Amino acid sequence: MKKAVFLLFAVAEVAAAQDSGSRNFSPEQIKHGSEVFARHCQACHGVRMKDPEGAFDLRTFPRDQRERFVNSVSRGKNSMPPWGELLKPDEIDALWAYLVAGEKN
Amino acid sequence: MKPQTFAIALLAASAIAHAQTQEELLRDGNGGSTDHVLTYGMGYYQQRYSPLKQINRSSVKRLVPVWSASLANEFGEQAQPLVYDGVLYAANVKRVVALEVATGRQLWMTPLEWDPGVARVVCCGLSNRGVALYNGKLFVASLDAHLRALDVRTGKEVWKAKVAEWKDGYSITSAPTVVNGVVMTGMTGGEYGVRGFVDGYDPETGKHLWRRHTTAGPGDKGGDTWPGGDAYLRGGGSTWITGSYDPDLDLVYWGTSNGGPWDARARPGDNLWIASVLAFRPKTGELVWHYQWTPAETFDYDGNNENVLADVVVNGVKRKVLMHADRNGFLYMLDRTNGKLIAGNPYVTVNWAERIDLATGRPVETEVARRLRAGDKVELRPRWTGGKNWMPMAFNPNTGRLYLAMLDETAVYQLKPQFPDYKPGERYQGVDNTTAPRKPGEAWGYFAALDPLTAKPQWKISLTELPSWSGMLCTAGGLIFSGKPTGELVAIDEDTGKIVWQFKTGSAINSQPITYTHKGRQYISVLSGLAGGTSVRRETDGKVLPGGSVWTFALMPD
Repeated sequence: MKKAVFLLFAVAEVAAAQDSGSRNFSPEQIKHGSEVFARHCQACHGVRMKDPEGAFDLRTFPRDQRERFVNSVSRGKNSMPPWGELLKPDEIDALWAYLVAGEKN
Repeated sequence: MKPQTFAIALLAASAIAHAQTQEELLRDGNGGSTDHVLTYGMGYYQQRYSPLKQINRSSVKRLVPVWSASLANEFGEQAQPLVYDGVLYAANVKRVVALEVATGRQLWMTPLEWDPGVARVVCCGLSNRGVALYNGKLFVASLDAHLRALDVRTGKEVWKAKVAEWKDGYSITSAPTVVNGVVMTGMTGGEYGVRGFVDGYDPETGKHLWRRHTTAGPGDKGGDTWPGGDAYLRGGGSTWITGSYDPDLDLVYWGTSNGGPWDARARPGDNLWIASVLAFRPKTGELVWHYQWTPAETFDYDGNNENVLADVVVNGVKRKVLMHADRNGFLYMLDRTNGKLIAGNPYVTVNWAERIDLATGRPVETEVARRLRAGDKVELRPRWTGGKNWMPMAFNPNTGRLYLAMLDETAVYQLKPQFPDYKPGERYQGVDNTTAPRKPGEAWGYFAALDPLTAKPQWKISLTELPSWSGMLCTAGGLIFSGKPTGELVAIDEDTGKIVWQFKTGSAINSQPITYTHKGRQYISVLSGLAGGTSVRRETDGKVLPGGSVWTFALMPD
């Protein structure tokens, strides 16, 4: 039992280390991300990431997989078209910030 | 006859065998050979009615699949196949195939290639709803807004025309149609600030002949229904379902979509001719009349649903009518000679309008619509997907009834506080829209038989597991054919509304079944493959997997 608790604690530590910096997103960047999301993403992924209607539920996206997120958005994935030629790197970064920060309500 | 002459005669005969004519188009679904299905809607009137009755109430128990062929496509199958001279032609966003009706074997396959970025400007699933045939050519639009003509014998491209620039938000998902020697195509992009149109081309050369815009410009009659400036240039009115045609009146009837942006406060006025039906000349695109289903449309109630033509008796008088079940929840009957309203009644629960005023032809909006237009968050019925979406209904000219798959959902809908700014090829909506929670056991939709004049049902089948996004086919055998998202092709007894037969195909049926004969045997063909639109994906929720195929059925011999 003790061992299991220790293991869980260790996993949490690693996860926290991997998304290092996620808590340092500025409110401006998160807001920018929410605007980019509302313009380009909400039609499929749902208003404020809620009610994704069959598209990927971004609220469940692993917070330690930033690279996977950037690749999927840039190059497209399954039914999602590639966005790399339309969105600038700072917009994709802002989207990531918004996703990690999440919706509060 | 000299050998040389004989050879030329043979050549000519073989050319004729593939050179499907205007006369055959006129007679398709209208007394012509049942060996062919040559037009979208199984006839220019788009009734989707067949006089065939080999497959009927008593024989249907022997209906079995005779072949299936893969279409290797995960984006979904919505197309209506065509059949000519023993060959079935089917399309999706990735390819066109020609298959032998008797065996299902492939004669040719032509890929439709497009930049993957095009999917950014396709709102609601990557789709292709079919092809057109004329004079030895097959016409098909690709998603990237190009129209192509293929040699019907080989599938080789004869010409290709750029209809519009996809990077500006234009794409094509609809089947072309050929009328009076003009091949016409619609377009889509109503969520991206496009200006809608129907285009006419020369079928032989691909030369552009005319463009019928669907938003009235400053010089047009109706131009004053837009604010000044350039709002009409990005006002929507896309044309993503193929028009029907009356050869006697020489009028094409084509529906138009929602306005752009969705928030109508950004474009004060009725905004002609969005959310309307336009009657125009196929040779020139000249507008003869219009009727607007939803003035100042702001609910995403596209007016594109098919316009079914028939000659029916109304109050003892035979009338040339047009029937249309709009997304806005009303079933309309218009006089198709002049566009005057004969009847307009709700066929599902409607809360945005009380009724359609018969004197003015306009909807009388409710408090719900007024609050929505003022920016309040409201529950809107029908949901933006409509009481019925694109999946076409069928009409039986003998019983005078319409058969359709209906949707019954509620939106939670609110215009955003700020208008969207327009950028070419980007979303231009300005609305937050979600779906109200569904009560357990509540129907998602219905299969129904309706009286077109009153919208009263003769019967209704509640669809409680999932709604249907399938077109209908009506046959003289007393059977209606349609499909379910779980993959079943179903046969419904036309009189009782009971499902009397079904067969589970490989994926969902959200397409358009057809029937025809080959060597005296009646066949039914349908495409199977879960569509990629957000609504269907939400409803099926991973329980149905995509993957396209063609299925063909006939009676098992005794």
